[in-house]
Amino acid sequence: MSLKKYISIFKISFAQEFAYRINFIMWRVRNVIQIILLFFLWTTVFSDPSKVIFGYDRTKILTYVFGILVVKAIVLSARAVDVAGEISRGDVSNLLLKPVNFFKYWLTRDLSSKALNFIFSAFEIVILFLILKPEIYLQTNLFLLVGFFLSLIFAILAFFALLMITSFVPFWAPELGWGVQFLVIVIFTDFLSGGLFPLDILPSFIQKFLYLTPFPYLIFFPIQVYLGKITGTVLLGGLLISLFWIFVLWIAMGWIWRRGLLIYRAEGR
Amino acid sequence: MDKAIIVDHLVKNFEVIEKKPGLAGAIDSIVSPKKKIIRALKNISFTIQPGELVGFIGPNGAGKTTTLKILSGLLYPTAGFTSVLGYDPWERKPEFLKKISLVMGQKNQLWWDLPAAETLELNRAIYEIPKKEYEEVVSELVTLLEVGKLLNIQVRRLSLGQRMRLELVAALLHTPKVLYLDEPTIGLDLIAQQKMRDFVYEYNRKYEATILLTSHNMDDLIDLARRVIVIDEGQILFDGALEELVSRFAKEKIIKVSLSREDDVKKIETIGKVKKISFPEVILSVPREAVAVAAAELLQNFPVSDLTIEEIPIEDVIRKVFRGGMRRSLQK
Amino acid sequence: MIKTLGRYLKVWWLMSRNSFMGMISQRLGASIFLTGKLLRIGFFLAFIYLLLKGTGTLAGYNLNQTIFFFLTFNLVDIIAQFLFREVYRFRPLIISGSFDLVMTKPISPLFRSLMGGADIYDLITIPPLIVAIYLVGRSLGPSPTHVLFYVLLLINGLALATAFHIAVISMGIITLEIDHTIMIYRDITNLGRFPVDIYKQPFQGILTYLIPVGIMITLPAKALMGLVSPLGVLLSFIVGTAAVLVSIRLWNFALTKYTSASS
Repeated sequence: MSLKKYISIFKISFAQEFAYRINFIMWRVRNVIQIILLFFLWTTVFSDPSKVIFGYDRTKILTYVFGILVVKAIVLSARAVDVAGEISRGDVSNLLLKPVNFFKYWLTRDLSSKALNFIFSAFEIVILFLILKPEIYLQTNLFLLVGFFLSLIFAILAFFALLMITSFVPFWAPELGWGVQFLVIVIFTDFLSGGLFPLDILPSFIQKFLYLTPFPYLIFFPIQVYLGKITGTVLLGGLLISLFWIFVLWIAMGWIWRRGLLIYRAEGR
Repeated sequence: MDKAIIVDHLVKNFEVIEKKPGLAGAIDSIVSPKKKIIRALKNISFTIQPGELVGFIGPNGAGKTTTLKILSGLLYPTAGFTSVLGYDPWERKPEFLKKISLVMGQKNQLWWDLPAAETLELNRAIYEIPKKEYEEVVSELVTLLEVGKLLNIQVRRLSLGQRMRLELVAALLHTPKVLYLDEPTIGLDLIAQQKMRDFVYEYNRKYEATILLTSHNMDDLIDLARRVIVIDEGQILFDGALEELVSRFAKEKIIKVSLSREDDVKKIETIGKVKKISFPEVILSVPREAVAVAAAELLQNFPVSDLTIEEIPIEDVIRKVFRGGMRRSLQK
Repeated sequence: MIKTLGRYLKVWWLMSRNSFMGMISQRLGASIFLTGKLLRIGFFLAFIYLLLKGTGTLAGYNLNQTIFFFLTFNLVDIIAQFLFREVYRFRPLIISGSFDLVMTKPISPLFRSLMGGADIYDLITIPPLIVAIYLVGRSLGPSPTHVLFYVLLLINGLALATAFHIAVISMGIITLEIDHTIMIYRDITNLGRFPVDIYKQPFQGILTYLIPVGIMITLPAKALMGLVSPLGVLLSFIVGTAAVLVSIRLWNFALTKYTSASS
């Protein structure tokens, strides 16, 4: 019975994205242009196709670049970026008054956005493929593909909690919502999860430090699994750590949410 | 369950960080913030029976909207006990939320870029309303509010009045038993206001819903609220029938005199406070106890062709309430 | 002439000061933003450093040269954003009908619509950037002529950016489509973070001549490295000047089409 509720939310969220078609297209264009930059950059670096740097050859690095396009579309696209604004303006009251779980609601809306972004990114990959004609590595190992899908699901859940936590800042400081979201979600997440370059080009002591955070598990880890660079027990270990982060972040999210509600003023009428 | 709403010794405080002006002040408020406590509700209590239509009145910032928000579960009470339909509002249980509705003038729940019909469908799914019941209720509401033709137009393209009527449909399609209306007629033209009032009256009568309404519009109160609760500075000053408010507050009565020829105004001022003169009418207000004597004096000493004695109009009473002038009068 | 310049300077200062004062009151939030922008530059520099540590050269350029291209990009980008912030408020200005008020004031509406929303936080980032450019540039051992070419071509690059922004708000008067166009501009100029040499044809041609990211950003940096002939500098200036003149023409044309529509 309550599944209908969430299907309805999914559908209306999808329809809403179409109301802002041009904004959405612009967003996709921005993503594609970034990939084009990375594509040419690495192609120039690997002008000799047999060269190997940082443990990558041309095929693997270009696959990483295209991987960024798809994985970002699946993991990082989120409707929940609106939450911070809704809390600042008091619009979240509307949701609190309804018999629907706040987190299930936003997760559903996120999934709707991810679905749309994924469809577009798949389409963009095909176009880029036809224009740029790169050699791409296709993973065939079933076990690794399953690991890849699992890592994506875990990344989605972890990122959701991370986004929510930063979005709750307006409960205490309404003016800081945008800034904190920009800093953590746009800047930190993009770089530290491997959204610009593969994290293994960093010196190992920095890598060790990064692996103490949830960031690498959002983009870098899934793509590495796909490329076959992480296998066997290391893969399972990584998935377990992902789960651990989901656990920690979701508990923090719930706790901060409850505290935020206690001081919520429901203002902005 | 006999009472729909119970509020007992409710207290609500807000903590605010005082911001001093200027650059130095801005830094100071981050380094050593000075907290101030705003006491929005100072121990209020009242109960409401099912099906009652009650008006909450008071000056701005008195605590009316705060009360409604606590009763709908949005704000966490600092102290005291509240119960609505047997539930604790703060727990926001789904069964509770399905039975209430809070309608705030400017807070929109309709999705802006989509036709209202989409939001209605969404709400149907969220409130889990069976299809047949949904269609009946929506069709009734739509007819009552005359919005049939507007359902499939993008909400952003509608006028304020049209939007508010559709917001009402969205807010009521789950036929709540308890309805909180915060300034329902604000921003509407006179005709729209009357339609809104007629609708609220109908809804109260038809669905036996308990309705709490806050308003600054005296027509709303005179038309709809048999019972009023006056709140000022977080305290309840009066809770009872509207007429009782008038007679309790009005320490004076009005004497309307018609003069057959012009006379000295100054002399009339010795009898009572002159409120208005437009020959041949003079309107005076006179203390209750002295009204008979004043009337006798006027008849004796002035060329009176007509004289009537009336109560102070309700509007004046309520106006004074809004201005906060009640405290002194009602504190005995 | 000087008097007019002085008057415009004063107006610009006053407009910016109002903007600044508004921002001081949102100090903490703005600082967070600033930190984010600085980190973005920092992370990218780290990326360039690591990349070149691994590969040695990029399209024939060494580490310092590549960093120099990136810093030049940031300078042009930030100065343009600093000067033309007001363009981001142009659409609301037109829609609300406030543009009418702008037209009736004795200050050129072009000037008013283009500039005057300057963000103080951009101003903070410019001096350190210039210092960094100086240090890295010096290590490339350019001759005085090359430095002169660099500065001239930077100014030319800013002229091109100005021409572009003028064109955008001109089109904005007619079509109301501003924000998206600016976003595309920003996205495409972002490709100038690296020398346009890395792009294969036909992309390289498009980026050099059609949407002149190449002339705006790559060329000045190349001039410092002695890779541009005086003729090249001259030709670029011709392109830059022509662009500005055309855009002003476009603006004046757009004004004739202005229908003062308020809701």
